Amino acid sequence: MGKLRIGHLVEAGLWLSLCLFLFVYSFEFDRDIEIYKFGATAWPRTIILLMALAAIGQLAHHWIKGDETSSDLISAAVDDGSEEAAHEAHHEGLNWYLSTLALLAIPFIYMRVPDWIASLISAEATGLHVIRVICAAILTAIIVYYIRLHRVRVALVLPLFFAALLEDFGFYTLAPFFIVGVMFMFGERRAKWMVSIMALIYGLLLLLFVKILYVGLPVGNIRPFYDIGSWIVTVLQ
Amino acid sequence: MDAFNNFLTGSITLFSDPLGILIFFGGVIGGMLFGAIPGVSMLTLAAILLPFTAHLSAEHGIMLFSVIYCTGVYGGAITAILFNIPGAPENAPTAFDGYPMTLNGEAGKAVGAAVMCSAIGGVVSCIIMMAATAAIADWAISAFGPPEIFALVFFGLAVAASVGAKTFWKGWLSILVGLMVAVVGMDPVGGIERYDFEMPYLLAGIHFIPTILGFFAVSEIFVQAEKKVRGKFEAPKMGVEFPTLKELLAHKVAVIRSIVIGFFCGILPGIGATLAAFMGYNEAVRWSKTPEEFGKGKLEGVISSETANNAATGAAMIPLLALGLPGGALTAMMVGVFQMHDMEPGPLVFINSADLVWVVFAAMFYANLSIILVGYLETKTIINLLRIPFQFLAPMILLLATVGAYAVRGLTIDVVVMFLAGVIGFFLRRSGYSVAGIILGLILGKIGEQTFAQAMQMLHFEWSGFLDRWIALGLLIAGILTLCGSIYGAFFKKDKRPSIGAAG
Repeated sequence: MGKLRIGHLVEAGLWLSLCLFLFVYSFEFDRDIEIYKFGATAWPRTIILLMALAAIGQLAHHWIKGDETSSDLISAAVDDGSEEAAHEAHHEGLNWYLSTLALLAIPFIYMRVPDWIASLISAEATGLHVIRVICAAILTAIIVYYIRLHRVRVALVLPLFFAALLEDFGFYTLAPFFIVGVMFMFGERRAKWMVSIMALIYGLLLLLFVKILYVGLPVGNIRPFYDIGSWIVTVLQ
Repeated sequence: MDAFNNFLTGSITLFSDPLGILIFFGGVIGGMLFGAIPGVSMLTLAAILLPFTAHLSAEHGIMLFSVIYCTGVYGGAITAILFNIPGAPENAPTAFDGYPMTLNGEAGKAVGAAVMCSAIGGVVSCIIMMAATAAIADWAISAFGPPEIFALVFFGLAVAASVGAKTFWKGWLSILVGLMVAVVGMDPVGGIERYDFEMPYLLAGIHFIPTILGFFAVSEIFVQAEKKVRGKFEAPKMGVEFPTLKELLAHKVAVIRSIVIGFFCGILPGIGATLAAFMGYNEAVRWSKTPEEFGKGKLEGVISSETANNAATGAAMIPLLALGLPGGALTAMMVGVFQMHDMEPGPLVFINSADLVWVVFAAMFYANLSIILVGYLETKTIINLLRIPFQFLAPMILLLATVGAYAVRGLTIDVVVMFLAGVIGFFLRRSGYSVAGIILGLILGKIGEQTFAQAMQMLHFEWSGFLDRWIALGLLIAGILTLCGSIYGAFFKKDKRPSIGAAG
């Protein structure tokens, strides 16, 4: 096996699986274009082929040289400390990645599951909103539960969950909680400081973007969050 | 001499009009501020201002945008250096060495070099632009058709594959991921939907602004979060010491090289400042006697990238004004300003609106000069942002990025894409892949496919057609040789640097 490790094989397997998936999916849009004989698939398939060759090249590189860095390269990505931090924190095992991916599913659960439930029970708009609120509450509770156990994983999930909730709950309602959450993730525990800084950041953002620049931010579409967002915009503008 | 007289006339027109002066300084400060605020960019400001330019005269509207362009490209370097968040794609290579310099307590030196070199690159580019617009436009536009632009994109990607990744293969995989992301949406010839997964949002493709914000700003926050949790977090050190004249003079070759690269990249429609900055940086590494020091806080890295991207701003005006071809997002908005005033940029502008052209040229020249003065004053203030503890700065950056991503198209899904890109960027960075490579692939992918399609149609689908076009052929051969050299280096050269995690 030369200097190959299981991680190298998994990495190559992931790349080649991605290539296979993209290649198979390319038949979905394999249509002729009258004025262009290469059609819509030639360019993506060339990229897929090069990607597969690069993945195989990387596997060969790992086989011959292990994890050694190539020469003549600019090592910005290597030297930003992220790889080293991960290594020292033992965040490289397959289990760590799998459990992190499981936690990362939370925002996507919120984006899909309420609609499925609503269609199952034939709920109308108001019913769907209630399901979304309940779903958001349950998923928030799960995230809060994990905060103390897995801060790095929750740090990855929190912004994505915030983005997933944005459409329904609006920027104006969510932003204060998000600010406090991020400060907590970064180790801030002084309640007075958290509240004051939250008010400062929130106030500055509203002043700059809503009052001065008239940037429209999402107000949400579930009541009463929509009403709160709209009221803030009306007051400021 | 005509050019000099026209420049003087343009300067007098600019500074004899109080409203013009107000708009000029508003553009200078606004461009720098928006370029420097993490999460928003000069494009945000330009997009906000676009509707209001209808109320201005054509001269004032175009001048405002050209000033924002010059100072905004510089402003983006500040966040790239201080927070590893490039204000625009063209500032991405600046972060490679600028941010490590900040971590080493040399933020002032890096920002000072960016100020000085942005001004030098921009001013020289403006002077060449004024002296030789017509001649250069004639040559470049006639010599550079789609085959040449495609070949330049290929060469650019071949040289950029070595930027920011742990191995040559990871560099290429990063670029190919970017190229693949660029495929999502309609194909450029037939309008056929590709990889849309039946999601209407994906029909328009994945926008590069949320992706850039995610890969750079958000992934950086995640990396710092991990370091903080593990007790490895180190606050950036304050440093307001600017580089000395001697230090800057020591890099004169890098400055001249980057001006040449920046100017020629800027002149080509659709290529612009981004490739200029990447190529300027990459050539600095290739010509250096100590390439292993790049990426660790080398002043020359900041100098090369910032000189090249500002040198491209003056040059980018040539295809815009001479042929009406925008070189990037901001110059595309300038076409919008022209159209709002019932004008079309193109050769007739020089005949019908010579005053406008020279007011714009003069404004760009003074905007680049003002970078030195306003830049130094502003920088002293902005560097103080580093005094704010990171737990307070992080939510601010994330929310600014949220607003920046949302403001592009008013879609919350863009915010999801941004944070998802942040998570992907976090995993890729820890695996030695290059987020800069992905971004370059994403931006050049669309240009590459479009120009390839145009080139093949132009050459009647005969590959041999490239043999008759010596510039395209030269660039393709140079790209292939670069690739072969890199593959040889990847397998047969031994690296002097220690590897991380080899024992694991």
